Amino acid sequence: MADAPPVEVRALTKRYGSTVAVDGLGFAIAAGRITGFLGPNGAGKTTTLRTLLGLVRPTAGEALVEGQPYARLRDPLRTVGAVLEAESFHPARSGRNHLRVLATAAGVPTARVDEVLEQVELSRSARRRVGGYSLGMRQRLSVAGALLGRPRLLVLDEPANGLDPEGIRWLREFLRSFAAGGGTVLISSHVLAEVAQLADEVVIIHRGALVTQEPLAALTARAGGATVVRSPDAGRLAEELRRAEIEASAADGQLLVAAPAERVGEIAAAAGIVLHELRAQGASLEEVFLELTAGEPR
Amino acid sequence: MRLVRAELLKLVTTRLLLWLGLMILALEVLVISLHVSQDSLSSLAEPRTQRDVISIAGSAALISLIVGVVSAAGEYGHGTISHTFLVAPVRERVVVAKLVAGGMAGAALAVFAGVVAWVLAALLLSARSVPVQLGSAGVMRPLLGTVAAAAITGALGVGFGCLLRRQTAAIIVIFVWLIVAEPLLSIAHVDRYGPGHAVASVVEAGVQGPDLLAFWPGLLLALAYAAGFAIAGAIMVKRTDVA
Repeated sequence: MADAPPVEVRALTKRYGSTVAVDGLGFAIAAGRITGFLGPNGAGKTTTLRTLLGLVRPTAGEALVEGQPYARLRDPLRTVGAVLEAESFHPARSGRNHLRVLATAAGVPTARVDEVLEQVELSRSARRRVGGYSLGMRQRLSVAGALLGRPRLLVLDEPANGLDPEGIRWLREFLRSFAAGGGTVLISSHVLAEVAQLADEVVIIHRGALVTQEPLAALTARAGGATVVRSPDAGRLAEELRRAEIEASAADGQLLVAAPAERVGEIAAAAGIVLHELRAQGASLEEVFLELTAGEPR
Repeated sequence: MRLVRAELLKLVTTRLLLWLGLMILALEVLVISLHVSQDSLSSLAEPRTQRDVISIAGSAALISLIVGVVSAAGEYGHGTISHTFLVAPVRERVVVAKLVAGGMAGAALAVFAGVVAWVLAALLLSARSVPVQLGSAGVMRPLLGTVAAAAITGALGVGFGCLLRRQTAAIIVIFVWLIVAEPLLSIAHVDRYGPGHAVASVVEAGVQGPDLLAFWPGLLLALAYAAGFAIAGAIMVKRTDVA
């Protein structure tokens, strides 16, 4: 199934007793791009990703990797690399031995272990016990494990949690280069800013259901929102804006315009209208995100 | 086979086997040196006593049970089970690999225990100028029986560990069963059919005490217990989400 999307979630529902973790969720992601998987804590991101990876059984629906359930993949490690939230390792095993175990089980040559250790810059600590690793080192070890089989798809669950700024920057650069090499990335986070500099597209979920799936640019445009203008010639400006099919409403001697500041400024200049104030009233991305994920009855 | 090799690699890349090996060593040094130094020379000269001297090697069958439990339940405890299932999402295959690896590790521990006990006994008996009769069949058979029994208990531990998926709880349940529950079965005269007695009858390997099954029925029963726990454990592991 070469043309199946790297990840496809169809009408996925997962109930734990009476708690609904995922509720009829559906989306698909495109190959060769970085998709941010967003939602507040408890939105169902981890459950969705763990179902995708075959660790959790869905109550209904399915989550497919390249058109197949994870358990049916012929060579899972060569298809998907996964970095789970709060990865756990055996504290007494060295980082290198942890990877050797995975490589042995997957039939990946041991030489590859040293390659990925090099790639995540962990070679120097590779023979030390994981129990003595910092959080950042553990995260790198997780990434190394995900890379062992040279997968086409990386799935990361809240990889930035607990990382210091240095670690986050390393991860971001790493994922960019992975995507630049043609790889597909699905990365979850409860903080939009973490993926805003990275993702091409975002899938936002809330209470286990899809809120929106759109290019990051579209989300940014929402945030780009309104502009506040003050002008001694407000009436004529409103007229000109209306002619450009832009809505404007007067309030407190100001005009509130539903367009980016640049556009309003251009229209005013073209009509020779004096402006006393031109101010973008942009909600931050974070505000848009909060609005999208909070506007439901409790 | 890749999965079995991965399971064996897991066992040798932590200190578990090292510690359990040292435990066996310490136990054998203590028990065998006490026995040889306390017993009378005439008693020690008898093959039957010499068999008793090295019978402590049978403890390997209990130790290997712990290896199996840790191999299965320990992965849930440390959370490494998610890595394991990401590489091998068909979970039955992981359970089978663990059963095989657990059996192999158990047998290896038993060989170690047997060799150490034999050498130690031979050295200490010679030191007291007692003729060493450790080559006789009556002495060797329990050592070989221990290897078979430890292979079975290694696998049995894996099955039980899969069933409970909690290492400490599993080990406590095992000890409570062996020390309290199974002896209570003697009230109904069915204790010889308990898993502990079945394994013990494999360890004895033909020099059975009066309250044990004969070797072959005991072996079959022990295997049946191992298979039962393995199947129940596999079903449990397959049905349980890794969250």
